[in-house]
Amino acid sequence: MELQAMYVQILALVIFAIGLIVAVSRRNVFFVLMGVELALNAVNLSFVGFAKTLPADLSAAGQIVPLFTIAVAAAEACVGLAMVIMIFRNRESVDADTFTNLKG
Amino acid sequence: MTNLPLWFIPLFPLIGCIVLGAIALISSGEKKGPSEGFVGALSVLFPALAFVSVVLLSFNMPEGGIRSTLCNWIDIPMFKVDIGFLFDGLSRIMLLFVTGIGTLIALYSNGYMHGDRGFARFFAYINLFLFSMIVLVLSDSLLLTFLGWEGVGLCSYLLIGFWNHDINNCKAANKAFIVNRVGDIGFLLGMLVLCTLGGSNILNYDALNAFINMIMGAGNVEIVVPILSIAGLCFFIGCTGKSAQIPLLTWLPDAMAGPTPVSALIHAATMVTSGVYLLARLSTMFVQIPLILDIITWVGLLTAFWAAVAGLFQNDIKKVLAYSTISQLGYMFMAAGVAAFDASIFHVFTHAFFKAALFLGAGAVIHSLAGEQDMRKMGGLLKKTPVTACVMIFAFLAIIGFPGFAGFWSKDLILERLYMSGPMGPFFYAAGLLTAVITAVYMGRLIVLTFFGSYRGSKESEEHIHEAPACMLFPMVVLAFGAIFAGYFWADSMGIKFFEESLAPVVGAAQAVLHHSEAHVSAGVFAGLGTLAALLGMGIAWAKYGKARIPAAKGSSAPQGKMATWTFFWDYVHGVVITVVNAIAWVVDNCVDKLVQFAQWLVGGIAEILGDGAASFQVRKVRLQIALSIAGVAALVIVVLLTGGLI
Amino acid sequence: MLLHLLVLAPFVAAILMVATSKEDPKSSSRLAFLFALAFFGMSIANIAAGNQATEAYEWFRIPGAKGPVYYYLYSHGLGAWMVLLSTGLSLVALITARNTTCKNYRNFAIGIFALMGAMNGTFLAADAVLFFFFFEAMVIPAAILIAGFGGKDRAKAAMTFAIYTLVGSAPMMVALWYLISQADSSLLLSLAIALQNMPEGAQTAILVSFLLAFMVKTPIFPFHGWQAISYSEAPAPLSAILTGAMSKAGVFGFIAWILPIFPMNMSIVTVMMWLGLVTAVYGALMALRATDAKKLLAFSSMGHLGLAVAGVFSLSEAMLPAVLVLLVAHGISAGAQFLLMGIAERMTGTRELDKLGGLARVTPVFGSLFGFVAILALAIPGTAGFVGEFTVLLSLWDMGPVPALVAGLCIILSAAYMLRFVQKVIFGEQKCEVAGTRMTALEGSSIGIMGVLLLVFGMHPAFITNALHLFDEQAIETMAKLAGEKPAAGAEGEEVAPSSIPGVEAEVDENVADVAVPMTEEDFRQLDSNLAANGFSEEERANLIAQLKAMNAEDSAETAAEAPAAVEGGNK
Repeated sequence: MELQAMYVQILALVIFAIGLIVAVSRRNVFFVLMGVELALNAVNLSFVGFAKTLPADLSAAGQIVPLFTIAVAAAEACVGLAMVIMIFRNRESVDADTFTNLKG
Repeated sequence: MTNLPLWFIPLFPLIGCIVLGAIALISSGEKKGPSEGFVGALSVLFPALAFVSVVLLSFNMPEGGIRSTLCNWIDIPMFKVDIGFLFDGLSRIMLLFVTGIGTLIALYSNGYMHGDRGFARFFAYINLFLFSMIVLVLSDSLLLTFLGWEGVGLCSYLLIGFWNHDINNCKAANKAFIVNRVGDIGFLLGMLVLCTLGGSNILNYDALNAFINMIMGAGNVEIVVPILSIAGLCFFIGCTGKSAQIPLLTWLPDAMAGPTPVSALIHAATMVTSGVYLLARLSTMFVQIPLILDIITWVGLLTAFWAAVAGLFQNDIKKVLAYSTISQLGYMFMAAGVAAFDASIFHVFTHAFFKAALFLGAGAVIHSLAGEQDMRKMGGLLKKTPVTACVMIFAFLAIIGFPGFAGFWSKDLILERLYMSGPMGPFFYAAGLLTAVITAVYMGRLIVLTFFGSYRGSKESEEHIHEAPACMLFPMVVLAFGAIFAGYFWADSMGIKFFEESLAPVVGAAQAVLHHSEAHVSAGVFAGLGTLAALLGMGIAWAKYGKARIPAAKGSSAPQGKMATWTFFWDYVHGVVITVVNAIAWVVDNCVDKLVQFAQWLVGGIAEILGDGAASFQVRKVRLQIALSIAGVAALVIVVLLTGGLI
Repeated sequence: MLLHLLVLAPFVAAILMVATSKEDPKSSSRLAFLFALAFFGMSIANIAAGNQATEAYEWFRIPGAKGPVYYYLYSHGLGAWMVLLSTGLSLVALITARNTTCKNYRNFAIGIFALMGAMNGTFLAADAVLFFFFFEAMVIPAAILIAGFGGKDRAKAAMTFAIYTLVGSAPMMVALWYLISQADSSLLLSLAIALQNMPEGAQTAILVSFLLAFMVKTPIFPFHGWQAISYSEAPAPLSAILTGAMSKAGVFGFIAWILPIFPMNMSIVTVMMWLGLVTAVYGALMALRATDAKKLLAFSSMGHLGLAVAGVFSLSEAMLPAVLVLLVAHGISAGAQFLLMGIAERMTGTRELDKLGGLARVTPVFGSLFGFVAILALAIPGTAGFVGEFTVLLSLWDMGPVPALVAGLCIILSAAYMLRFVQKVIFGEQKCEVAGTRMTALEGSSIGIMGVLLLVFGMHPAFITNALHLFDEQAIETMAKLAGEKPAAGAEGEEVAPSSIPGVEAEVDENVADVAVPMTEEDFRQLDSNLAANGFSEEERANLIAQLKAMNAEDSAETAAEAPAAVEGGNK
């Protein structure tokens, strides 16, 4: 049976929502980071899902874009992790609520 | 024989300055200075070469003078000036005594500056001074004259502050330069006024004279005279600065802080007379503006009288001579004020000899007393330093106008011209004569206190008194001869008019414009009255100071009490101006600047407050911020969807 | 090619300097000298080559602008001399910095080269956006250098400097953006055309925001708040560059951008001239009271630049060469003084005037040089300073006797504070130990050469003034072409005045004056009295004035006819 494009989008939305909620509600920085990653991957999924709806010759482009996104996301995750580790070293804490430097 | 190029004359001292300056600079790091013999020889050689070339040129000078344009100097739209030289009767006389006395004083300084650490530096400055002075009198345009004009001021500054480890010398030097600067701005503005009248070409003396003659010939007097008067006034302000006339005269007495040869060369014989030179040079212009000429006469009169009286109160031997210089300059300005430019230049000429002789004599006295300048601690030096005493007494006789000596002829001439100058003439004459009496009194006092009576200094210093070395005595003796015989270039009553004739091509025409009625007083009466004034003054001086006990010197040599009030009157006036400037500076520093800073602080403060306000939107929780920003993005998306795009 | 090198190569040099050793100032200083010397040589060649321009490369398009932004360099006499100042002072600064900032010489040199490139770009840019880009870019290396190598208060000084100058030019950025959104391109000519089609209110607003940026940079009272602290806290070699070359960007902006673009009206000209004069007096008075030697020098340069700005807005025929000579003279003498003061500070460890003194006896060569340079700064005739000040005085005299009198007062005051400065630093009793490195022969001779140059320019200012042709025919044609105009119309209509007036550099100003102040009845009356004063007869005067009136009417008709033509050209 052909996979309905709509289901893929619904799945992506759910994952995205989970990621967002995790990112916003968890106090542990690592969970925040993981939430962001999850949301990012949901977007990738959505891309692929939409690409499936197109005719074959056009669909390739839509499926390539997630590859780029994954690469960028990997780099971003590196930087993010590095930053988190630096913050952890300075603060001895992974609690996002203690990071109030921006308040001035 | 073809003539030497004119630029040879300033070239020699310039080379001297560069060479000696280089020697001074190179040797300044070493423990021992450069060989004094070598430096001394160079220092005399270059002025002497300049003197020789002036003499050579003088003999071959055609009637109308020599003109040569060297090259272009400033060339911009609205303003073109060339570097050019003009050698005529006036500059010939000035150059002859400038280079001649300059050479003699360079020789004298070899003895006076012996053993000084800045030996080479001193002579570099002296050569630079001679260069500037030569440019001043030799140039053919006002702008180039101005180069020399400020150049001599600069050298005066450098030489007054020569012993710069003493801060007082530096202050005197600063004062001299700044007061001169005030006058120089007058000179500058005068040039600008002339430029508005006839463009930059008019700054050339020949062109200026031609322009004025043309205007006057065309009869456009009413339009041009006010502008010319303003220009004349500006130039006269310049002259008062350089020649130490009221009100810019306070710097000259202070300038005595410099080495004595400098006082002789710059502050007596040459630089201070450049104001008189400028008046004579611009005589064509000045005779068209009688108002300014009257001002000049009055200023000269007041200066001569005031300085003569101030000279009575001084205890410092060099200060007496300084006030005497100011007073004599007042005479020259009086003469120029009644359009007797040739007489005033003649007095410049004779004055250069006897005043230089007096200063060099004073220098020799100070040298022999190991730096003592207070006359109250001198006395009886006639026996100990006979040559110096003779030189100074001859020069003294010259300055008071004793018959037969140089000052007699020139002062007599000025007084005669003053008398014949119109309705105010007899008054001017009387004031001049009174000043002559006072001159004789204070100069007599100087001679009496220094050379007669008994020595009033300490015992041990008495043993060290010695006559100056030969290289100092020789110039003094030469100048003493000048003080006696220089007057015979223009001995009117003997029918010798050499000086007048040689100046006639330059100032003759101008003097003819203001034609005064011939007075019906015989020259003998003038001469008799002048002699009487000199004798009277001498008599008073001898009666008052000859036998009197001089109170022992206490403290500084500056006059006290009422005498100080009189002496330092113009210093007080300057003090007021300086106080006002300082007060304005204080206001600017403490009010205006603070106001500007307050405005900055205000702007900064407002920015800071706004920033703090904006920062209050930064809630503490990172997660809440993320949530809010996501909500914001969502809101944006909804708006875009609902409105179908922003545009 | 030369222009590209002058602008871009300093940045390359800065990058290459990174390769040298950070620890070893000797090796990095050698490379830096080599580069600086090469740039100095190039700038001399640039002056010798006269007016020249590069190809105009299209650079990028700003959103909202009609035309592209060009990378287009153009060197005229004014800019070329300013470039010479920037490269020359950088060279000497790099020489003296070797003993001052030993540790981190490499980083200092990198900053200086970046600054030099930005300054050269400012002085050579022919495109307004390019000019603005470099104008802002100058601030960054300068601020970083102050923050990195300055004195005690360096952080505050760098902050003040950066914020003040960047904020000052922010209105200019907005105005410029608005202007190029109206104009065909961001070249001078099209800006001028675009401006003429604007309502008067907009014109004034744009003019004021441009003026503001340049006034902050110069600085002109009351926008001088950044200057004293930055100059005194910056390392002395940098102060020399800042005052000698960078502050000239303000005056340069007035001459090269404001005067050609904006039609001047008399009130703004008068206000600017008086602001300049007030700055001159203010700077002199503040210098009289300064107790910090470098602050004294800072206020002294403020005074001189005030005089220069007053000279610019006298708008007389002699203005351009006069101001250029003044700027060059001031750049050299103020630069040399800052460098010498830096050496004095290095030797004694203080720059308080009351703690210095007697240096002439301890280090006679340094003392002589110090005195020599101070005398040159006094504008004694025979030095370039005199030629500049006198000719500026002459152009001010054109505006009336009062401005000239005020300028004269400033010259007197300048003597007062300069002599006080000399007396306090090198004369009198020695008050402090001389512990630091003394002046080296290389430093001494390079500063000495600067002094000698001042004398040379003073006796023969034609070296400077002959190089002056702001806009020659060829450049105008290129600009006109790029602006989408017919070259002939552009050349005749906007930039080149009637051929009866000789001298290209005069033409621009003449034209500005023409556009700004069409001759009124009062002007004619004044002219009449002037002529009368010069001895013209009744008949001649009437004749002349009738001619002038006819010309005047013709001119205004021409401008009116050309305005629509310009719009048409723009629309094509």
